[in-house]
Amino acid sequence: MATHTEFHVHHDSPEKVGRRERLGVRLLIVADGSFLFAIIFSWFYLRNLNENNAWLPKGVKTFSTASSWWVIVPFIIVFIAHRISMKNRSLRVPAMALSTVLLIVGAWYQWHQVCNMPFVAQDANGRPFYNGGYASNWIIFAGTNMFHYIITAFITLGLFLRGLRGNLLDPVLEEWRQRVAGSWFTWVMIGGILSAFTTSIK
Amino acid sequence: MAKHDDQDLLPTPGQRVGTFLKRKDVSQTFGLGVFFTAVFVVLGIWVYPHWMPNVMSKEMQGNENIMIWFTVISAPIAGVVLAIAMESFINMHRGDTPPPEDGPGIKTHGPVVVIWSAVSVLFTIVAIVWGITEMNTWSADALAGSGNALVVDVTGAQWNWSFSYPAQGITTHELNLPINKPVEFRVVSADVNHSFWPVQLGVKVDANRMSTTIARTTPDKLGVFDVKCAELCGLNHAYMETTGHVESLADFNSWVSQAKANGGTQQ
Amino acid sequence: MTTLSHKPASARPIPNPERSLITRLNMGTGTVVGVLFAAITYYLLRHHFSSPWRHNHGMDMTNTHFVNVTLLSTMLAWSFGFLVGIGALIGPFRWLIGKDLTAEEQLYLAGDGQGIKRYFKYCTDHKVVGIQYLVGVMVMLGVGGTMAMMIRTNLATPGSHFIAPVVYNSLVGLHGITMIIALIIVSTGPFGNYIMPIMIGAADMAFPRLNALSWWVLFTAIPVLCSAWFLGGIPTGWTAYAPLSDQAGPGMNAFLATIIIFALSTAVAGMNITTTVVAMRAKGMKWNRVPIFVIGATVSVALAIPAFPTFMVAMIQTSLDRTISTGFYDANVGGSGWLYANLFWIMGHPEVYVILIPGVAALMEIAPVFVRKPLFSYGAAIAGFAGIAGLSVLVWAHHMYMSGWMPSLNGPFMITTEFISVPTGLLFLVLVGTLWRGKPWMKMPMLSVYAFIWDFLIGGITGIYLSDVPADNYLHGSMFVTAHFHYTLMGAALTGAIAALAFWFPKMTGRMLNDRGSYISFWLIQIGFNVLFLGMFMAGAAGQPRRVADYAQAFAHANLISTIGAYSVGVGMLVLLWAVVHSWRSGVIAPMNPWGSKTLEWTVPYPVPLVNFDEPPVVTSDPYNYGRSVK
Repeated sequence: MATHTEFHVHHDSPEKVGRRERLGVRLLIVADGSFLFAIIFSWFYLRNLNENNAWLPKGVKTFSTASSWWVIVPFIIVFIAHRISMKNRSLRVPAMALSTVLLIVGAWYQWHQVCNMPFVAQDANGRPFYNGGYASNWIIFAGTNMFHYIITAFITLGLFLRGLRGNLLDPVLEEWRQRVAGSWFTWVMIGGILSAFTTSIK
Repeated sequence: MAKHDDQDLLPTPGQRVGTFLKRKDVSQTFGLGVFFTAVFVVLGIWVYPHWMPNVMSKEMQGNENIMIWFTVISAPIAGVVLAIAMESFINMHRGDTPPPEDGPGIKTHGPVVVIWSAVSVLFTIVAIVWGITEMNTWSADALAGSGNALVVDVTGAQWNWSFSYPAQGITTHELNLPINKPVEFRVVSADVNHSFWPVQLGVKVDANRMSTTIARTTPDKLGVFDVKCAELCGLNHAYMETTGHVESLADFNSWVSQAKANGGTQQ
Repeated sequence: MTTLSHKPASARPIPNPERSLITRLNMGTGTVVGVLFAAITYYLLRHHFSSPWRHNHGMDMTNTHFVNVTLLSTMLAWSFGFLVGIGALIGPFRWLIGKDLTAEEQLYLAGDGQGIKRYFKYCTDHKVVGIQYLVGVMVMLGVGGTMAMMIRTNLATPGSHFIAPVVYNSLVGLHGITMIIALIIVSTGPFGNYIMPIMIGAADMAFPRLNALSWWVLFTAIPVLCSAWFLGGIPTGWTAYAPLSDQAGPGMNAFLATIIIFALSTAVAGMNITTTVVAMRAKGMKWNRVPIFVIGATVSVALAIPAFPTFMVAMIQTSLDRTISTGFYDANVGGSGWLYANLFWIMGHPEVYVILIPGVAALMEIAPVFVRKPLFSYGAAIAGFAGIAGLSVLVWAHHMYMSGWMPSLNGPFMITTEFISVPTGLLFLVLVGTLWRGKPWMKMPMLSVYAFIWDFLIGGITGIYLSDVPADNYLHGSMFVTAHFHYTLMGAALTGAIAALAFWFPKMTGRMLNDRGSYISFWLIQIGFNVLFLGMFMAGAAGQPRRVADYAQAFAHANLISTIGAYSVGVGMLVLLWAVVHSWRSGVIAPMNPWGSKTLEWTVPYPVPLVNFDEPPVVTSDPYNYGRSVK
């Protein structure tokens, strides 16, 4: 109601705050993980069902195994860079700068793949369609990678900018935020590897 | 060997049960329990046969039996739960203010929890065994009849059913079947998901595009049955119905000949 | 609230809080920006799809795929734009640039000193969010309920032309999805937000800004869902089965967009509630002292977190089929409706327990208070909830017994499904054990416990029939199923939610819910409900399929009985609405603890202070230590 309140905030220690931010992010990772599970399920289910022999209709080209893996390499590098920078504070800002750039490159490469999909055919009316189960499932993996790129780039950019502000921010809280981000980086790396693995199984 | 004097004063288990049963709330609950159990038993035995349609196959009979007997078997559970609830309800505290005194501070009762869980598990196993046995019976029957089965290709389309009899070379919109002959329905959809439901024959299977699914039964009673669609399939789902007849082999054959004479398809 | 433990030197103090961007944003600016984004998106896409280039490549303007792209994008743009306009992105943006919100800004966002205006702003106070959810839920229940009345009116007699089949099918589908969304949030939204943090002795939730986000994201989904009506409705049920959903008209896009938006809201809300309960309980509140409603709400949302994303994937796949011509559900190009069914029900079954558990947990919270006895076997309650949640992810294909997707798995799924009755049985044990030897104070929340016992018993037993594969041959797709799930979802979960409203009304509004109104509505609703759905069991057992606009003469009797029951429910709900509105405005002022409950929320006055407690409470026992000692 409309009375002014004496705002006694019961300040929680940065440790407590950091821990619960990490729990929150991990729960969101569970949700994202479930999303990935669902698209992996789709991939293998339609592949095994091979309805109408149309998982990969005759003559339909696929992406190479190499390109499936290259497109997720930035996630691996970001994970490694972050791990290194956790041990060596002076590397944090450069690590996040490098990571942001790599993630943008990765997103560009994923987009490049989308622009060059070899499995989009045209129907009798000249309208494009995704020819087969492989094709339909591939685009969802591409979209998921793209989503991960955008979110992760936001995080690395944020950590970079915040790193530049140095001691203007609470060091204990920022240390926790690095650790929380580490949970996310670990996840997108794992997610990327699972995506690459799945999309390599044609 | 000297007994402790106290042991003569402790009630025996039998006496404790007796005292327990004589308590007002317990005897009320027991009476209510008998009542509610009886209600559910009657419900199972009378209501389902009364509500459910004609039984025209072994499978349909099996279904009806499950409805009846699962109700009867769960009657004691319903009885206990409802009895306790009703007894509590009857003894309510009325008024705008809370009762002056707390009830007994019973936080848990180990034996009750264990027995309740055990009975639950037992009922579950009974239900599972019943279900698996019934499924196996149906599979065995289907296997036994498979060599001899009348094959009917059922196609669901928005919004009608058509039946093609490959051995007889006819396609119709009515489903006629000879009595006591195993029939194998091979069901497919021309468009969206439908569900083939010859109601009184007690089987059902979805109609999917490009994937044939199978249902098997043996009609064992003469009469009319309904064929309905049991999966929402768009605008006229409610009207996607037709009828079928279970008839003698002779009548069936003459129906087939008539259909053939009309050019093999029936409008 | 997550404030810094010291003020950073660089934080610019807001010289005049009344003049910053944060203070100017509200539901109005949100709507303006949302509509703006939607309009821009719509016109850009319309222009793009009708450009000469498209003509030259043989694509015509009326291609349904272009319509779907345009509509979906417009709806999502509305949602995103609204969030921009109401200030949801300010927090993340300030994080990005390293200039976190100051203490003054956070205080402002918590609604300090803003009176009733804070309900229309991006307000982080969990109590405000709780009220927002309550109003939102009531609106959705009202809309869904009106649709139900129309459905039952059409089915009052066979051959009725009250509603045309195309409209009827839309009613069925939209009633379903509206109610499902409303029921998912009916207890955890209002009470999980308002009451739960106070119940655990916290000052707010773990992520107050995300709390506001989860409400406003949901809010943006409501007009999107309603837009389905103006776009021709949907031809599918709420389950939106493919390939019918691929074939569906423009209205289907509203459904798809709604779910995509809603899934985001629930993921955020679920994460927030779970983190709050795990990390912010008061000193001394060990796990065995946590109120059972908090446990139930947490189990429910923790189950939702992994469950709903699969629904989102199914919606995205449907959207892709309808926009860029993928073939997830098109058998011609390797797709299958069975893929949709699997993804949907992997979400769909846990989801019904997401709905059920908070309602039951609320009743378990209520019963000890009115019977003045401890909750019977707290451990069994936990085991019940945990067992249900755990098993619920293993049973989904019992919805698909008849689909033909994999008949060899029917047996295993029957086994797991039957076993859910064991933890469910424990829930009954806890409630009847609490009733045993008690003398209950029969106020409306307590009455609801009895209604629940009856309703859920019927729902549970009929569920056992359905879980049996052979019997499901008969019952699947019939009105019997519809009656079963209304007994569980409405008879159990909604009954629990209405009881929770009556129970916590004094703490949320400062007033007592009108007694007579609550009793009259209770009886009208419960008696009507039972007449309605017992009639429906009759029709289903007799062989009436579900989701039908019309039916054969043989089912006339049962349907008429159903419709009469429905009207009683409708009147009862209106009486309840009257009671809520009337009492909120001018009901009897409530004392601090009208029911004599021992949980923490009853130790704070109304209006509840911004940070709930002056001093963080210390807990020394569980909240159910009623009772004279047992003989």
